[in-house]
Amino acid sequence: MTFEEFKDRLFALAKKNGVEVQISFLETREFSLRLANGDLDQYTDAGKFNVEIKVLKDGKTGTFRTQVLENPEKCFEEALSNLQVKDSEEKEYFFEGGKEYREMETYVGRFEKLSVKEKMDMAKKAHESAAKDERVVMVPTVMYKDMVIKKIITNTLGLDVESQMDGGFLFAMAIARDANPRSGSWYELARTPEDLNPEEIGKRAAEEAISLIGSKTIPSGKYPVLMRNTALLDLMEMFIPMISAENVQKNLSPLKGKLGEQVGNPAVSIKDLPYHPKGLSSTPFDDEGVPTTEKFVLENGVLKTFLHNLKTARKEGVEPTGNGFVGGIRPVNLMLMPGEKSFEELLKEMDRGVVITEVEGMHAGANSISGEFSLFAKGYWVENGEIAHGVEDITISGNFLDLLRKIVLVGNDVKVSQHTIAPSVLVEVLDVAGK
Amino acid sequence: MLNESVIRDVLSAVLKSGGDFAELFFERKYENRYELKDGKIEQATSGEIVGVGIRGFLGTKAVYAYTNDLSRENLINVAKKVGEALGETKVEDLTFNFNRTKRKERHVVLIPPAQVEKTDKVSVMKKAYYAAKNYSELIKQVVVWYWDYDQEILVANSEGTWAEDRRVRTRLMINAVAEKDGVLERGFYGPGAGMGFEFFDRIDVEEAAKKAARIAARMVEAEPAPAGKMTVVIANGFGGVIFHEAVGHGLEATSVAKGASVFAGKLGQKVAAECVSAVDDATIPNGWGSANVDDEGTPTQRTLLIDKGVLVGYLVDKLGERRMGMKSTGSGRRQDYTFPPTSRMSNTFILPGDYHPEEIIAATEYGLYAKTMGGGSVNPATGEFNFAVSEAYLIEKGRITKPVRGATLIGKGHEIIQKIDMVGNDLARDQGMCGSFSGSVPADVGQPTIRVKEIVVGGRNK
Repeated sequence: MTFEEFKDRLFALAKKNGVEVQISFLETREFSLRLANGDLDQYTDAGKFNVEIKVLKDGKTGTFRTQVLENPEKCFEEALSNLQVKDSEEKEYFFEGGKEYREMETYVGRFEKLSVKEKMDMAKKAHESAAKDERVVMVPTVMYKDMVIKKIITNTLGLDVESQMDGGFLFAMAIARDANPRSGSWYELARTPEDLNPEEIGKRAAEEAISLIGSKTIPSGKYPVLMRNTALLDLMEMFIPMISAENVQKNLSPLKGKLGEQVGNPAVSIKDLPYHPKGLSSTPFDDEGVPTTEKFVLENGVLKTFLHNLKTARKEGVEPTGNGFVGGIRPVNLMLMPGEKSFEELLKEMDRGVVITEVEGMHAGANSISGEFSLFAKGYWVENGEIAHGVEDITISGNFLDLLRKIVLVGNDVKVSQHTIAPSVLVEVLDVAGK
Repeated sequence: MLNESVIRDVLSAVLKSGGDFAELFFERKYENRYELKDGKIEQATSGEIVGVGIRGFLGTKAVYAYTNDLSRENLINVAKKVGEALGETKVEDLTFNFNRTKRKERHVVLIPPAQVEKTDKVSVMKKAYYAAKNYSELIKQVVVWYWDYDQEILVANSEGTWAEDRRVRTRLMINAVAEKDGVLERGFYGPGAGMGFEFFDRIDVEEAAKKAARIAARMVEAEPAPAGKMTVVIANGFGGVIFHEAVGHGLEATSVAKGASVFAGKLGQKVAAECVSAVDDATIPNGWGSANVDDEGTPTQRTLLIDKGVLVGYLVDKLGERRMGMKSTGSGRRQDYTFPPTSRMSNTFILPGDYHPEEIIAATEYGLYAKTMGGGSVNPATGEFNFAVSEAYLIEKGRITKPVRGATLIGKGHEIIQKIDMVGNDLARDQGMCGSFSGSVPADVGQPTIRVKEIVVGGRNK
């Protein structure tokens, strides 16, 4: 049956049973190409939809997800039976809508107009550019991907919103020859294919690998660290659970009780942006239908707000911040606001220390409950403000909140990732483990 | 399930348009997820996914598409697109003789999730919650997740494969948080199995919860781990994540076939210390990573990977078969129909050796005892791996002394397996989720207690 019929039947069931119901419809189309050593290795062209049915009664909700628009009665029953399992006394809500939503250009439609050949050419160009230098022995992966996502959220309280986004990315990985193979990769995200430069992406991947030839380990110690944007983007993921009001309320965040306090260096400001021209997460409303908002999370180092969904906001008597997403509370685009200095100026400023370009093992080595991290890292050793050689077999460790206090200079070289946006930053000191 | 005539038409539609191999994967999966915080159920979600993946090969070129519009017309359209993307038609004879041998059911399920009252699932969660909460005054929050699913699959391909399988999995995950002087620390344990609700008759839920609480309580009082190279003794069970990351991923056809693995071209060569033998075994009855057939319809098997230090096997899927000229080891896996399958580990572990774990500790003058491991990751092309130790102690003069926290182990896989010098006799397996090209799949890691002579420990400098 059509979505409209499915919705009408569900709304009628809700009325008959004296409950509220909310339906979220998410349709995704994706196209991807993967090259291995320049040959087509995998090609995917596909689509699917997901429907989430949420039932609300006496401040409790129950959820059922389906990919079959056939049996609204069954979906309703399943959602209701999940509601009956809940014994939490915390009230949950639906949003009644009727609010103004910010106009955003989240859908441009340029990717959909590209032919398969044009997409293939982009991947090939990235491959050729990455493979050009004779020190590169292999380009194991080039990946091109684009997608279109359509979202509808509607409920029996009157909410009825719809949005569409599109975007794509291009990624390349190169391996350079050395005593041990050296790998380097680069990617860019964009709203239109014109903003993805395949030559540049391939070239950067090769440069990253080549620059690590002759890498050496360094003695364990405390060093000044220039955290390049590529590494900071990953590290900032740790901050996301910490600023969730739900985690704060449940004693699962080290930021509990710190609202209004100076938790970072005055050089550090962090915003949640509902819209960024390159951010593929940009959206006018969250998954509860609440308008997304631009706000400082950290302003000159002072903790200004936590991120809320409907439930956490009402519990605290504040306005929801439009950060309720399936799977929890998260920012739309979490951006560490850029400063004045270029990457090269930051290098000069550091004079002697370590540049970190990449961290690995975030899912295990970064603990957002304690803030502690201990991560495998890659980068360069810097002497006299210049890169001397690559470093291998090192880890960096510290506490994320301590890191925020130790950021003394912020760069202007902003890079965009899935949920985080950041420039490079100079960190006073970090623990490095090597030989 | 889809009927046979539709499936025949779909496979034909691919091959009429292009390619020399066509495959259809159908999946229907029901799952339940509950979350408990502060002793109360906060999230209760169930759901179903139903969809079809259609794949074609032309030589070593692969094209994949998926859809959850299961109408005949749409499926045929998607199939045509797959064939057209491959470009060239290679198959004249489009008759498929499906070989439908009755599958051997190795993973018997006694109580399927659908037959269990939701309140019974909640009771298990509460039992875990109270056991962890009451473990110590230091435990300030406990989050318990319950997850089960029941997945039915059907794989049919143009070579005559017709395979059906059902995978039922049940898991309980406990996250305990301890607080002392404003510092928070967590402990996690998440046992699971390829079985139904009878799983909770096989494990001691309270002991599992106490394990998570113990890690949090010990670690919140621990000093930071020392940094630098040292000897590390890694306990049995989840400790096997070191083999999984450092070596296992590098043995998957996905990277070996491209030459993008440090283990490519090393079959028959000595790659590890002689005390190291390892297998991947998807046939273990009711194992977390087990199945009767893989997601390409190939019967699963036990594959010897390393025999007394010599590399003897890779993990091969159907595309790997073509690219490497080796037979599939039944290792084609995927999270669901939205991912094309690729070679993946199932239950992977180091085989037991001669030492009692106590002997290994006693023989160590100074080092780190990694009692519980967190997760890790690896770059197969360079062998560089890392993983987090979630519960660690110092070893001084052959004895376990004080707890230390925040340790990470890093290195290159091909170097580290040469440095294993003692293997214990206490093999055990634990459960995890493994992420790679074809999504997140259940996988067991395992090992007896082992000692690595020298490894870089990431911690704090004095």
